[in-house]
Order: sequence, then C-alpha cells, then structure tokens
Amino acid sequence: MSPDPGASAERTRLAWRRTGLAATAVALLAARPAFAPGAGPGTYLAAAAALAGWAALVGLAYRRARGLDASPPQPGRRAVTAYAAITVSFAILGTVLVTL
Amino acid sequence: MFTGLVDNRRVLDRWFNPQKTPVVGEKPDYRFSLANERTFLAWIRTALALLAGGLACAQFLPPLPIAHLREGIAIALLLLGGVVAIRAVDHWARTERAMRLGTDLPKSRFPAVLALVVALGAALLMVAVVIKAFW
Repeated sequence: MSPDPGASAERTRLAWRRTGLAATAVALLAARPAFAPGAGPGTYLAAAAALAGWAALVGLAYRRARGLDASPPQPGRRAVTAYAAITVSFAILGTVLVTL
Repeated sequence: MFTGLVDNRRVLDRWFNPQKTPVVGEKPDYRFSLANERTFLAWIRTALALLAGGLACAQFLPPLPIAHLREGIAIALLLLGGVVAIRAVDHWARTERAMRLGTDLPKSRFPAVLALVVALGAALLMVAVVIKAFW
C-alpha cells in the first residue's frame, strides 16, 4: 500500500482531536455549576454525567484513531453514531442544567 | 431535511451500520468515506459550539429585563445544538449510502436554514443592544 498523498487518515485524526477539544469545553461548562458556592446535588449529578460523557467521547476518538492507523484506513461506523448520540445527550443535560 | 425519517428501524440501521446494512452497492474509496467523516465532525463541532454558547449564556449573562429570557436563549441554543448533531449523523449515513450506490449525494436545505436562524438571532441581539444603548 503506497502512502496516502492526500493524508486523509491524518487529517481525519486531527479532525477527531479538534472535536474532542470542543467537547472538553462543553463538558467543563456543564461541570462548572457544581463548583459554585451553594451548589445542590443536581449540579453534582450533572457534573458527574458531563465528565462521564467526556470520558466516553475521548475513548471513542482514541479507538477511532486505531482504525485510521490501519492500512487501508477503516471508515468510521458505530463510533460516528455514538459520538452524535453523546453530543445529543450533552444537549439534554445542558437543558436540564439550565432549568434546574 | 429529514426526508429519511419514515421507517424508524431502517433509519437506525443506516445510522449505526451504514456500510453493512443494507449490503448494497460497492465499498467506496476510503478517502471519500474519510472526507464524509470529517464533514460529520465539522457539523458536530458546530453542534458543540452551540451547546457551549447555550451553557455560557446561562452562566455568564446577568439576569435580563424580561423574566427567564436568559434561560430561554440558553435553551434555544442547546436545542439547536441537539438538532444539528442529529442531522449531522443522518446526513453522514445518507451520504455513505449514496456513495455505495453511486447515486447523487443527498441534498440538504439545512445549512441555509441554520444560517438564517443564526442571522435572525444576531439581528434580534443587535436590536436589543441598540434599544438598551439609546432608550
């Protein structure tokens, strides 16, 4: 297998990493209310869920990077759908957090 | 936008296993699949940016003169982010299927709709800022 001149695998890996960084910002914002003075148990639960979701996203991206290292690179399948599902969960978690 | 959301089980199959079920067409060049994946990731980042914006509204804006307006803006941004994420995975799966079948890639009005919604939001905020500055 000749090296890929367009570096698609590498560009895709970097796209996963950028997305992970954006997810980190969202997870930190979702966890922030738990560290405010007088935070209730709801915000603690939300922070725990946010950090668990963040860990799941990082794990997915890590596993996906291995598929990209293969030759030829494997296209993403379930990792893509799972990533979207966790992003939607963050939207729901954020809505609960705002109405709390 | 969601033209494929008719038969739920088929849609879920398409989301979770776009290359396996249905076993139709031919495996596309992996570079096309990876390009499709990067487009999906760009949409997910858009969704995450909307979520971050919504959470930031709720946490950093002072209470607004209209009751619960701040929370309303935050929830609107969060819901928009969720819709963008769902639409991202649907579009990714439909593109993957079209590439296997060698048909035209799915067309979508969603980018135009999202652009109009964001522009409308910006216009409303500008009006609010001007009103606050001069009255």
